Amino acid sequence: MKVLVGVALVVVTLLGAPLFSVIGAGALLGFAREGTDLSVVAIEFFGLSETPVLVAIPLFTFAGFLLSAGRAPARLVRLSQALLGWLPGGLAIISLVACAIFTAFTGASGVTIIALGALLYPALREVGYDERFNLGLITSSGSLGLLFAPSLPLILYGIVAEAPIDDLFAAGLLPGILMIVVLASYCYWRNRKVAYRATDGSWAAAWAAIREARWDLPLPIVVLGGIYGGFFAVSEAAAVTALYVALVELVILREVAWRDLPRIMRESMVLVGAILVILGVSLASTNLMIDTGVPQRLFAWVSGYVTGPTTFMIALLVFLLILGAILDIFSATVLIVPLLLPIAAQYGIDPIHLGIVFLAAMELGYLTPPVGLNLFIASHRFEKDITEIYWATQPFLLVSLLAVIIIAFWPDLSLMLLNR
Amino acid sequence: MPRCSTACSASSPSTGARIRELAERPLSDSAQNGWWARVDRAARSIETWLIVAVLGGLIVLGAAQIVLRNFFSIGFAWADGLARLCVLWLGLLGALAASRDGRHITMGALARWLPPRLRIVAAVCGALFGAGVSAALAWVSLRFVGDSREFGDTLLDGVPAWWLQAIMPVAFALMACQFVGEAIKRLRGGAVSETPL
Repeated sequence: MKVLVGVALVVVTLLGAPLFSVIGAGALLGFAREGTDLSVVAIEFFGLSETPVLVAIPLFTFAGFLLSAGRAPARLVRLSQALLGWLPGGLAIISLVACAIFTAFTGASGVTIIALGALLYPALREVGYDERFNLGLITSSGSLGLLFAPSLPLILYGIVAEAPIDDLFAAGLLPGILMIVVLASYCYWRNRKVAYRATDGSWAAAWAAIREARWDLPLPIVVLGGIYGGFFAVSEAAAVTALYVALVELVILREVAWRDLPRIMRESMVLVGAILVILGVSLASTNLMIDTGVPQRLFAWVSGYVTGPTTFMIALLVFLLILGAILDIFSATVLIVPLLLPIAAQYGIDPIHLGIVFLAAMELGYLTPPVGLNLFIASHRFEKDITEIYWATQPFLLVSLLAVIIIAFWPDLSLMLLNR
Repeated sequence: MPRCSTACSASSPSTGARIRELAERPLSDSAQNGWWARVDRAARSIETWLIVAVLGGLIVLGAAQIVLRNFFSIGFAWADGLARLCVLWLGLLGALAASRDGRHITMGALARWLPPRLRIVAAVCGALFGAGVSAALAWVSLRFVGDSREFGDTLLDGVPAWWLQAIMPVAFALMACQFVGEAIKRLRGGAVSETPL
């Protein structure tokens, strides 16, 4: 019976039933089997209103959507070009940096490819890189930067793992930079024979770009300075960010019309709602799994095969790469992290380090079929066949994998910036 | 793009083309008139304006709290609770909007490779399953809210808790209706938009 129900749930999932309904059904059926009153599922769902940090999610998401609706993407590209244009392999590296910063603010939802891809793709072609490289670069940059504050996956991990968000923000910095450096090195090496035409790298141009971006530049300072300076909590930083972006885009620069505001708010809350409804039902299913001792049984099973921290980390990476290929980062976080944490703790893995490894590995999931979100968005956006996009991203995927392995086996890279 | 494979080439070409057309036709073509479409449009704008009100309120509330605390050393005990309830409301309103726009997170990417006829079947099954579970969630939420009303629970310094919790059964019930509507639309030959996330 239990097996039959499990198979049925897998089948409806593959047919395309909304994931929250599958998890909800699992929780309802599980509690019914335990003989618990089913309103426990509603009580757990109401727990969404009892988590203070959760307030940050709608606010940061709205700010990110509003930023991408205005001309901030163009300013960001121009600024990176003015500041980094002199580097060898310049435009590729510019793309990586601009996409990473933008993704941190828009929550790694594929918005980056749509907002920045349109600006960078033609520019890359003009410089003379080959088509396949450009496609691969843009597609893989779309999820780069989700280790940087204040990205949505980082906040969500902190909420699910009950880890301090500011620690996670600090921990993501160096591994995020490592990912960019490793990918940038690949870009440089790959295009070493392309005759590089330097962009207008004058001081005047740099100054003009900085002036143009003068309203955007305070944002990271407000977010990070405010949090680490102790002026406000993460959720308050989110409120300030949302208000500031609204003020700049609607009142000061007037790049977004007031009449578009309801649409943008709705769009951003569609993403938030899709994530929170999954989180809500997962609160119930996680509780059920803990009640029925799933983590202990899982650990007993794992410890039969995995002896030490190193083998555990290897097994974890393999597991996460498979997981990332079939589940998106948000669902994976709310479903798998509660099970993973107690097991990782038995092997002495720091929960903050685990979070960074988890998110870095799931980042690769954006590029792996069958569900890799970036592949679909890029295929749609650039009107290319999905298999073509897939092959174009392969080298980037392998290079990023190298970075993930370094992040996994070098815990201090994540933990050295923490005040402990 | 998904390609037509064995299943539809087996039927006559015109039927295959017709089914393919049905599977790929955008929502707007088939759903512009009729009473359902009018109800849908009205519901959509109510939904949107509620989102605007709650999200706008949350932003103002958050900013006001910082200003009051840092400059005037004033704080309200209920403000944090209200902000957290706004998140619950936004989550549910957003989920309802996601149902209307066909943008819930699914693992249905595999279904894209099905032949057109089976893709419609898969979409109908998925939507009906979503409808069933949403209805069940609405029912358990209704019991939760009923209990809370009976026991006289309060939130935010004395506001009856069930006023604020009532969004749960309402949103899930509307989501159930939305999924049933989607299934019917699919069966009658309109495709629902399939943007990934």
